[in-house]
Amino acid sequence: MNLHSHDAAQKSIVYVLLAVGAAISVFPFWYMLITSLKPQSYIFEIPPTLWPAQATFSNYVKALTRDNFGRYFVNSVGVAGSMTVLTLLCASLLAYAFARLEFPLRRLLFGLVVAGLMIPPVMLIIPQFLVARTLGILDSYAGLVLVYVAMNMPMQSFLLKGFFAGIPIDLEESAFMDGAGRWRVWAQLVMPLSRPALAVVTIFSFIYSLDEFAWAHVSIRTAARRTLPIAIAFFQTQHKTEWGIVFAASVVSLVPIVLLFVTFQRYFIEGITTTGLKG
Amino acid sequence: MKRFIPVSLVILALLLTASVVWASGSKETTPEPAGQKVTVTYWHTMSDPEAAQLNKVISAFEEENPNITIKPTKFAYDDFKTAILTAVAGGDVPDTARIDIIWVPEFADKGWLLRLDGNMAGFETLINRTFPGPRATARWKEHYYGLPQNTNTQVLLWNKERFDQAGIDGPPATIQEFAADARKLSNPGKEQYGYALGGTYFWAPAPIFYAMGGRIVSPDLTTADGYINGPESVRAFTLLTQLYKDGAISPNLLGGGIGTSDGHASGKYAMIIDGPWMVDIYADTYPDFNVHFAMIPKGPDGNTSSVVGGEDAVIFDGSTHKEAAKKWLAYLLSSDAQKTMAQVGVIPTLSELRGDPALPDYFDVFMQQLQTARARVAHPRWSDMDGAINNAFQRMLRGDQSPQAALDQAAKEIDKLLAE
Amino acid sequence: MAGTLIHGSRRRKIATALPFLAPGIILYVLFVAAPIVYSFAMSFFDWNLSNPFQSTWLGLANYRKALNDEVFRRAIVNTVAYSAVTVPSQIALGLGAALLLNHKVRGQPFFRVVYYLPVITNWVIVGVLFKYAFNGQAGLVNFLLRDVLHLIGSNVLWLGDPVLALVPVFLVEIWKGVGWCAVIYLAALQGVPANLMEAATVDGAGPVRRFFSVTLPMLGATTLFLVVVRTIGTLNGYVSNVVITNGGQPMDQTHFVLTLMYKVAFGSLQFGYGAAISYFLTVFIAIVSFVEMRVLQDRGSSI
Repeated sequence: MNLHSHDAAQKSIVYVLLAVGAAISVFPFWYMLITSLKPQSYIFEIPPTLWPAQATFSNYVKALTRDNFGRYFVNSVGVAGSMTVLTLLCASLLAYAFARLEFPLRRLLFGLVVAGLMIPPVMLIIPQFLVARTLGILDSYAGLVLVYVAMNMPMQSFLLKGFFAGIPIDLEESAFMDGAGRWRVWAQLVMPLSRPALAVVTIFSFIYSLDEFAWAHVSIRTAARRTLPIAIAFFQTQHKTEWGIVFAASVVSLVPIVLLFVTFQRYFIEGITTTGLKG
Repeated sequence: MKRFIPVSLVILALLLTASVVWASGSKETTPEPAGQKVTVTYWHTMSDPEAAQLNKVISAFEEENPNITIKPTKFAYDDFKTAILTAVAGGDVPDTARIDIIWVPEFADKGWLLRLDGNMAGFETLINRTFPGPRATARWKEHYYGLPQNTNTQVLLWNKERFDQAGIDGPPATIQEFAADARKLSNPGKEQYGYALGGTYFWAPAPIFYAMGGRIVSPDLTTADGYINGPESVRAFTLLTQLYKDGAISPNLLGGGIGTSDGHASGKYAMIIDGPWMVDIYADTYPDFNVHFAMIPKGPDGNTSSVVGGEDAVIFDGSTHKEAAKKWLAYLLSSDAQKTMAQVGVIPTLSELRGDPALPDYFDVFMQQLQTARARVAHPRWSDMDGAINNAFQRMLRGDQSPQAALDQAAKEIDKLLAE
Repeated sequence: MAGTLIHGSRRRKIATALPFLAPGIILYVLFVAAPIVYSFAMSFFDWNLSNPFQSTWLGLANYRKALNDEVFRRAIVNTVAYSAVTVPSQIALGLGAALLLNHKVRGQPFFRVVYYLPVITNWVIVGVLFKYAFNGQAGLVNFLLRDVLHLIGSNVLWLGDPVLALVPVFLVEIWKGVGWCAVIYLAALQGVPANLMEAATVDGAGPVRRFFSVTLPMLGATTLFLVVVRTIGTLNGYVSNVVITNGGQPMDQTHFVLTLMYKVAFGSLQFGYGAAISYFLTVFIAIVSFVEMRVLQDRGSSI
């Protein structure tokens, strides 16, 4: 049995398959990118081409200079950032309670929170609007942030609960014996150990917030407070859709999330390993 | 003390939340007393060029009415209705809005819009200055609930190059010529068609439908039987179905094909029927293309017709600044405001402006067509009726039913909606 | 391995837990739980949007109307088919991708990022892209099938066909889901004990045998998790459908339950009926999840 040639052959097969899969994953992005570089008259050319015959940046220029796009971009990133921080805080507090504390109705409460995953969000818009109005947070970033945090709570607290439950309890028990209080254990022991899981929560929360359209469209009236998905929707006017510009704007809007993911990806995989998602 | 650090983190988080809430400011809902400065909100889905012109209109209005400030908010076209419905549910409606004419009967029926006739000084004069088609869109149950702010209609666009190539010397004047031209200009193998529709929703076949004498419901809105499935209507749909089967109409109308504007400019569709926005669209995306307009070809009874679209300006019943809102609406219908908006391709609803030199040249054919253009059915359930006609058209194109049978079914479905 | 750290009176337990629970629970109740109850209530009325207290009580009439509605029934069929096809596909392909990504090859981190990219993109954008690629007259897919691979004779009008129009919708889900499943399986694979694998190799088992005897059984819990979560996710799907089919076109035959709900509520202003439709779906999802968990329970899990 020649282990070396076996190994080498196996490795090449793996590599080829990986490359094929990667190409399939990336291909739509490629398509989007090249379409964003085509002028409108080429977008419906027959036959469609995989390389722009006449590449132009005009779509990008139009996307970025029209109607305050930069401001909407900043708004989106800002809201996503605040919402992520708040989610990290609230969800980890909640998850710790479910994982480590005993209190009446713990199981029921956890079930109710996780059941929220099953509900389609669309129907909730009207009552959410009513609540937001009563609290006076309509047409505000707070209105966006708070609703997003709430909507994200089931998934993120579920993830973190799994993770916290997996931390060896002896660590915490010995900290208690040293005289540390519960808060300190949470803040200074458990949370630092949870960086991977927190990375997962960060990425999931960011994605959710950057993509959300329905609530943002309905609750914000002041133009300067609009977010990115709305900005992209604005390129689809009543009588026409300028695909080149839509794709250019989409490419631009993908940049923050891709950067974020690339930065956190090491933690992310590690985090998935240990959040108990796998069982 | 170390103990305070985690506690302070939590307090910090709460403070953060509180400050965000505080910094965002709260919504002001109390109406100002009369005589003081009033803000009137105005919601719309205008494109950027239109919104820019709107600002000029607003400035002019505010100059004449120093006590009133207009606050416009732009919404995405696709989800505008959802935004309005949510506002209604939340008890937080705008004062005024420019809404699709289709929604006026719907919202009026629910009691969300302010009745304008008998309620607004000078209303009768204003409404009588508008074209008859657009005027009909603001009417529900003998009353008016809006003012037609801008209107549009569809006319024939013909690609001169393709016509020249085929040896046809001008656009068709009658439906018969239209059908013949469409056939002559088609070559499905090369992805070339004489005519293309944007889809099967009623707006697309409507001009030809109306030109051929088609009707949807009885004038008193009680029945569709005998109208949508009446002889003229069936004849119109039969013609379109036949042209499609003969390869003279592009299959894009069934869904997911090349759009009419791209197809027309690139020569794939020799004729399309579309609206005034095409001028700006082509200027932007196909600057070398010369667009040619013509009236909708005349039907068998010798008359042309088309369909009316556009938006109406309305005042919401929940508005707390109704008097100021009425002034704003009246100004939107002044010839000054209408002429300003006309600069970006928005067709005015005042019939007296027809032929006015301040308007772009290409408006002529549209405003002429508007004299004979018809509004669709002004009924709260129109969108479902549109669905019924849409589905009927699809069924006959696919050969599932004959045009008569498909329209009979549509008549039944529409009658049910009228009865609700 | 959940242990508890609080011993003592019930009162003490509540007092301890309260500050941890409060922020998250308050937000959840305000913006999710209460709205759920509100919209559930809506389903029993002919809901009056501007004056809710004047709504007409209908009892179960909205629910009965849904069951009798041909369009709703078709929507259920579409939604179930969507789930039944895309969930196994993305899980199987995800497992395959994870196995590949587990090998130590050059550029492993790069591949991992690339495979995950579809997950982080926006449904609307991807939907639009696929719609554009499946254009019946100038789309890339037809071009490849007809002019490059010569698999079809003439252009297929994908989006004009009540069944074919869903093909791009299904594909978007699979394309987006594979990366998510792959990353989760990848993490799970890290937990397969190395000594077990070695023992199997020493015993003479080839890679395929090793996979089925050692690896697969260890992935039971992960698979259960993925099946349940992806089923819930796909049954709740709607964005790519709306974008690609324009809301059930052609002829209202390509609806998913949630796209129909949206049209009925925000299009035709029938909010009570829309709410009923969405709760039908919720109950269905709950039942399906429960059944899945029971059926796959013997593979072990801790939720």
